[in-house]
Amino acid sequence: MNPFIGETERDLASAVAEWSGTLIPRIPAAEKEGTLPRDVIAELGRLGVLGMTIPEADGGLGASAVAFALVLEELSAAWPSLAVGVAVNSGIVAGSVVRNGSAEQRRRWLPKLMDGNGLGAFALTEPTSGSDAASLRTTARVTEGGWRIDGSKQFITNARYAPFAIVLARVGELDPERTSAGITAFVVPLDTPGVSIGRPERKLGLRASDTSALVLEDARVAHDAVLGEVGKGFAIAMSGLDGGRIGIAAQSVGIARRSLELARAYAKERRQFGRPIADFEGLRFSIAKAESDLAAARLLALRAAWLRDRGRPFTREAAMAKLFASEMAQRATHAAVQIFGGNGYMRDYAVERYARDGRATTIYEGTSEIQRIVIARSLLAA
Amino acid sequence: MKILIPLKQVPDSTVRVKVAPDGTSVVTEGITWSISPYDEYAIEMALERKDADPSTVVAVVTVGPERSRDALRQALAMGCDEASLVRAEGAAPLAVARALAKVVAEAKPDLVLCGKQASDDDQGFVGPALAELLGWPHVATITKVVPAEGAVELWREVEGGHEVWKAPLPALATVHKSEKEPRYPSLPGIMKAKKKDIPERPLDALGVDVAAPTWTVVSMEPPPARGGGKILRDGDAKQIAERLATALRDEAKVL
Repeated sequence: MNPFIGETERDLASAVAEWSGTLIPRIPAAEKEGTLPRDVIAELGRLGVLGMTIPEADGGLGASAVAFALVLEELSAAWPSLAVGVAVNSGIVAGSVVRNGSAEQRRRWLPKLMDGNGLGAFALTEPTSGSDAASLRTTARVTEGGWRIDGSKQFITNARYAPFAIVLARVGELDPERTSAGITAFVVPLDTPGVSIGRPERKLGLRASDTSALVLEDARVAHDAVLGEVGKGFAIAMSGLDGGRIGIAAQSVGIARRSLELARAYAKERRQFGRPIADFEGLRFSIAKAESDLAAARLLALRAAWLRDRGRPFTREAAMAKLFASEMAQRATHAAVQIFGGNGYMRDYAVERYARDGRATTIYEGTSEIQRIVIARSLLAA
Repeated sequence: MKILIPLKQVPDSTVRVKVAPDGTSVVTEGITWSISPYDEYAIEMALERKDADPSTVVAVVTVGPERSRDALRQALAMGCDEASLVRAEGAAPLAVARALAKVVAEAKPDLVLCGKQASDDDQGFVGPALAELLGWPHVATITKVVPAEGAVELWREVEGGHEVWKAPLPALATVHKSEKEPRYPSLPGIMKAKKKDIPERPLDALGVDVAAPTWTVVSMEPPPARGGGKILRDGDAKQIAERLATALRDEAKVL
């Protein structure tokens, strides 16, 4: 039992767990090919997973942050590449439109995030601005009919599947004293002339998840493409990332949980020196420690989601959950590969993939180092 | 069109069945229960009709213990419109059929779809018995239903092809398989199902004769444990192949 989880939340998560279990035979081929199958995205739409964070009034399910965290955990346990796509679409992108969009923008853009025809993208990172997101160089200038956007975005999840991206661009000149000033969020349909998608990045893990560059050259959007207010885009991005961090914590939990489940089953079956390797204390201690850390990470992630559901501040808690859970996932997947021994290094065993996929969790949505900055800043504020 | 599906909650197909200490039943403590797979096909078949014609009403009913409410809830989450429970513990198959006949008389469906058999005891009794009690046409083990003016076309798989039967409505069919695999409940479906009322009444309240001939389980045994494998080692490939062929013919008796 878990104090943060209600019955409905548990039921939604177990329904997703049951469905996502059916995807497992398809994963190796999709990972090799480097794409999420279209029919799987369509089914996520039909199942209502893509719209689960969107309020009922906007046609979604209006599920809690706790329910979404649990669903991401289940999707990650089955297929981390798929979970990343959903986390970005239904977490960061949908959340940004819901919180900052006008009635017209919500009516226009939210259905595209839940109809199963694609997955939305969030374009913040650039070749020269990663952790220092506020130093971004993409520019937006007012033109006759609206805005002209120019710049290069990098590592954009879902770019090839996205109906539109939220693009962060600077309006006005860069002020070295206040780098975040002028940053504005735009909704940019990806079929806009002047928008092109770069070649998919070749990654260590999460290979079926699309990560591509986005280039904007004289891309023209209308006045109503501005999400929220001009110059307030950095706050939109940061609040999107707060929620996104709960998602990555949940993802880390899912990856670690499944790796350890597989490792436990293997340890009971695999025999060396005349008995199951699960009998050896070195391995038993490794499992005991990893499962304890997993349980702690899960509670941290759910606590952050639970606070969010109650309208309480959760920035620090989300950063703590993300930091601890993603670091935990490194140790857990390492332990799982170790328990599988030589087999764990082979692609025929899923723990090899979880170890690669899990590696991204300490990096995206703010590195572990950035999480420490966020946590320390909140603890040591004057 | 209104379609009624009587369903049964059975141990999930992933449950490892264990014989209880009494030797005449299986351990049900702590196991996972599900809708019987053939009943799920019947639900999917009905929901496909509903997808094609949204005016279709799909209702489910079960005669079973309190826990079978979860199976009804699952059917609602898949997209069924109504569900009701007739509460009974261990009712004989004929009593179940009589209770269902009463439910059918009240609900007045045009079509009743039953799974061809329940996956726990595999008797395949209730569907045909219900048709008999109702005096309705019955077509067994169908794979497809197509509405036709005041009637239905019912498809059956037969050796090398299929047959199409036509039955006037109301009619009853037992389902072998649906065209598509049973759908997973959507998240909005789960939320909606939670809000739906599932009316319940005890079997006694239906005023049907519950006395029925039934069987008694004499004993239950797990299949014998499999012996260890045999490894043929000595000799060259030809000798080993000969010994293997002999073993397959004389010991395993598979050749």
